[in-house]
Amino acid sequence: MIQFNQTEIGYKQTLLKIDSLNLQEGKVYALVGRNGVGKSTLLQSMTKLIPLISGDIRYEDISLKNLSRNQLARLIAFVESKFDGVEFLSVLDYLMLGRAPYTSLTGKLSETDKTFVNEISEELQINYLLSKSTTEISDGERQICSVARALIQETPIILMDEPTAFLDFINRQKLLELLIKIAAEKQKCIVLSTHDIDLCLENQLTFLIASRGIVVKESCTKKTELINYFSR
Amino acid sequence: MINKRILIYILVISALLPIAIYFHLNSGQIALSFSDYFPQDVSDLSTNELLAREFRIPRLLITMIAGSGLAISGMLMQTLFRNPLAGPYVLGINSGASLLVALSLMTGFHLFETEFGLIGAGLIGALLSGLLMMALAFRLKSQISLLLVGLMFGSFTSAIVSLLESLAAAEKLKSYTMWSMGSLQQVEFSQLPVIGVVFLLGLGLTFVLVKPLNLLVIGEKPAEVLGLNVMQTRFLLMAITALFAGLITAFCGPIAFVGLAIPNLTRIIFRTQNHVWLVIGNLLIGAIFLLLCDALIQLMEGRIALPINVLTSLIGAPFVVFLLMRKIK
Repeated sequence: MIQFNQTEIGYKQTLLKIDSLNLQEGKVYALVGRNGVGKSTLLQSMTKLIPLISGDIRYEDISLKNLSRNQLARLIAFVESKFDGVEFLSVLDYLMLGRAPYTSLTGKLSETDKTFVNEISEELQINYLLSKSTTEISDGERQICSVARALIQETPIILMDEPTAFLDFINRQKLLELLIKIAAEKQKCIVLSTHDIDLCLENQLTFLIASRGIVVKESCTKKTELINYFSR
Repeated sequence: MINKRILIYILVISALLPIAIYFHLNSGQIALSFSDYFPQDVSDLSTNELLAREFRIPRLLITMIAGSGLAISGMLMQTLFRNPLAGPYVLGINSGASLLVALSLMTGFHLFETEFGLIGAGLIGALLSGLLMMALAFRLKSQISLLLVGLMFGSFTSAIVSLLESLAAAEKLKSYTMWSMGSLQQVEFSQLPVIGVVFLLGLGLTFVLVKPLNLLVIGEKPAEVLGLNVMQTRFLLMAITALFAGLITAFCGPIAFVGLAIPNLTRIIFRTQNHVWLVIGNLLIGAIFLLLCDALIQLMEGRIALPINVLTSLIGAPFVVFLLMRKIK
């Protein structure tokens, strides 16, 4: 689904070089690596928030370079590690922003758009939050709302920057189970960066290990295997 | 369900506008009848009809335009910077306009000495300082530093203005001092079409930008991932703010706190971040607020000549302190 081809990412200097890497639909990938190795930079490069130094990222043989901002918004959704909420912004209004790539200049949602927003919020069981302000709900609820917004964006790819970082251990497991289910059922490709190695091992995610300037795809089952990559 | 509540608020506030207009028109020293505002023959006006046409109507319209324009430009800045303390005044956009107006009034730049030169000076000053602040805004991570830079920029420009004042001839100094106190009486009937067109242009552009504004509420990066062209939006928002602030500053002088206080008040009343409602709300509440302020000034005219800038500061400053207290809690 996503192919990296001699891709170099970073700001001025190359942080990570990915010669060849293929990500598939229906899976959740855990991007791991030590602080400063370039995990966030990699995710942001995939959304074109940071330009590539060289090489190419392709989706089904279309180079992301050739897509407009709006076309890209129909392909890739991005969930930040924390959404703090905005005073007077209701959860419903927040979710509806997810349809922005599909609405016209006025930003008004069609009936189909509204039905879709309702379907997703029912599916994630956040109906009871819709009329509340995004500042009045808990961190866990807000994170689920962010995931809902990404689903409402209806993209084949969802990128998440440390989505479990601010959650308690029950909510972490819940979120991960939800993501695995979504990826399988809706055939999406989800990439999340995380330091929560134990959680990812338990849930048998495929790892994308960023270390020493390269990214390796590996299905580790033991922590020691994983740690080896960082101590080598 | 949610929209119904907002609609009721808008209806109530819309009903207050004619009352404020009526109050404003009837707070002048000389009582005018309703028919004076609609003369039969424009070429042969009675004294009262002339008073209505040359003073009351321009003053009424510029007051509404200034109140609405400042409130909307404040709202634009607050959304762009995601900071309730942003506004054309705090961010130094007014200071830039003042500086160029001071230059044009107190030095010998012939380019600026015509009537439209003053507006041009206000607009260019507002736009330049807007661009400067925007360039700084994206270097400075902290919003607090940005506001501080805005205040410093304000102090710096006022120092230059003071320098100009000390060097200027008495006549020129007087005209600048009068301008700097802010006045809603300087506009003539013949200037209204130009002011109206510029205002409507800004308002139209604001409505076109409702979707980008709604997206910016959640921050620039998330908005960009949702398909927003952030650089273009930033520029347009700055340009509209400069248009409003420049126009109003040029014709009415600096009017503080309206752009800061009214957008916050509107958000508190409407409890929404949907900019369709916020634009309409600021349009109405801004106009009503300044109409009431100016009516008060007209009522007190016999006793004290209170400049508009002084009155809005007297009301606005405590309100902003109230906002800060509310945030801290």
